[in-house]
Amino acid sequence: MDLSPLSSDALRPAAPPQLVFGALLIALMLNLLPWSGTALLIRPDFLLVMILYWVVHESRSIGQTWGFGLGLVMDVADSALLGQHALVYVLAIFLTQLLRIRILHLTVFEQALHILGILFIAQAVYVGLNLSLGREFVGWLFVLSPLLGAFLWIPAHYLATLPRLRLRGQRRLM
Amino acid sequence: MATYQENFFTRGPSPLARVTFFSLIAIAVMIADHRFQALDVVRFGVTTALNPIEQVIAWPARGLTTLTRYFRDQDALISENKALDEKILALAADGQRAQLIAAEHKHVSALHEANNRFQREGVIAEIIRDARNPFARKIIINRGMSDAIKPGAVVIDGLGVVGQVTNLGATSAEVTLITEKDQSVPVMIVRNGLRAVAAGNGREGLIEMPFMPVATDILVGDALVTSGIDGVYPAGLSVGTVTVVDKNPAFSFARIVALPTSAPNHHRFVKVLLAPVIAGKRATNYPVSDVVASDGASSAKDKAGSSRDANREAKLEAKRALRQDAR
Repeated sequence: MDLSPLSSDALRPAAPPQLVFGALLIALMLNLLPWSGTALLIRPDFLLVMILYWVVHESRSIGQTWGFGLGLVMDVADSALLGQHALVYVLAIFLTQLLRIRILHLTVFEQALHILGILFIAQAVYVGLNLSLGREFVGWLFVLSPLLGAFLWIPAHYLATLPRLRLRGQRRLM
Repeated sequence: MATYQENFFTRGPSPLARVTFFSLIAIAVMIADHRFQALDVVRFGVTTALNPIEQVIAWPARGLTTLTRYFRDQDALISENKALDEKILALAADGQRAQLIAAEHKHVSALHEANNRFQREGVIAEIIRDARNPFARKIIINRGMSDAIKPGAVVIDGLGVVGQVTNLGATSAEVTLITEKDQSVPVMIVRNGLRAVAAGNGREGLIEMPFMPVATDILVGDALVTSGIDGVYPAGLSVGTVTVVDKNPAFSFARIVALPTSAPNHHRFVKVLLAPVIAGKRATNYPVSDVVASDGASSAKDKAGSSRDANREAKLEAKRALRQDAR
């Protein structure tokens, strides 16, 4: 039996599914904007940041299965070889799951630093995968993408927790 | 309303077991997609499902583009008009010459009973966006399977070959540009008829001609057109112009770089040619070129008939002359 320490939020009620999947859908839509050129290179992966957020805060509903499925969707949307994003997302989620309890005890900024490391590893795997398939190197600007993604963690944190706090408040009133 | 779940302890496989499982599946999917193109159904399904979302998202961007185009500087329009006028004059001469050449070509092809492999039928499509993939040179167009486009269809613009349709949605298609790495086009050098294969080099929007011996007769400025021998690209479409010929005797192959004539980044519309010519089949089997081919064939028959008559008359004439001599 797994006797790893419990997280501090084990007794917290789950977030409403419409909030979880609504946020994921919005992140997916941001990823689907017609990015191109330099903007495409430095674009943070909105969807991955949002998935990692829910992996940290809703580990009971969002895990590697969702990461794999949404990764396949991103592969099709980005006309990439099928399975690339799936592999990268699954690896990033695994790392987040390892660090999850630790992350929950940190402040938002320290959390963002952890996410930066994970996003950077994910980006390195993605670029390495493409280079190993014989693609040309696209320049060093792509390292900005995890950096912007880590910055996004901060607004994502507040945006995703605010409606939940409101819901919780309403329930307490009832 | 939120539901309360009572699983304090994680159940099911451990994260490590899961990540191993999913990684193996992801790698298997990559191999299946790369080697066997076995997952086109998945692609088609997801592309079609994502299409409405993408269209909704594209609205603000499209509105912005329309707005900027509306407020574009008048000077720019005037200078563009002037440039276009000059271009029309320049093209007028070319157009007349082209008519002459087309007429000549018709006669020649009739004489040789050659198949006309040019295709005329096609679908005009709008470029929606570049593929969101910094490693690939692909564009997305707004026509798909519902417009009778088939995988492998050739895409051209007003200047030359753009690429080939590599993935299909119901109402969208992904076009791989000829500048994509390892995307090859069989070409012919117009000047001397030398056939070769041009392949994209994946960067800077250039194409290369690999494996050409150092002694090859290629000069800077040579025009490349499709040779048509592959049966996919119709013959005679403009592909590019040779810009670099580096013949270093230390290597067994020359380094030849060409600049594509097509410019899909500069305008919004392309033409998708329907029903690629399949190798081994004569072009006359296709309705596309029937008009031209039957024209050629009938005129050839007429010519053949008239020349036979002429022969017969000449013989009769000769016989008559012989008889007169005998008397």
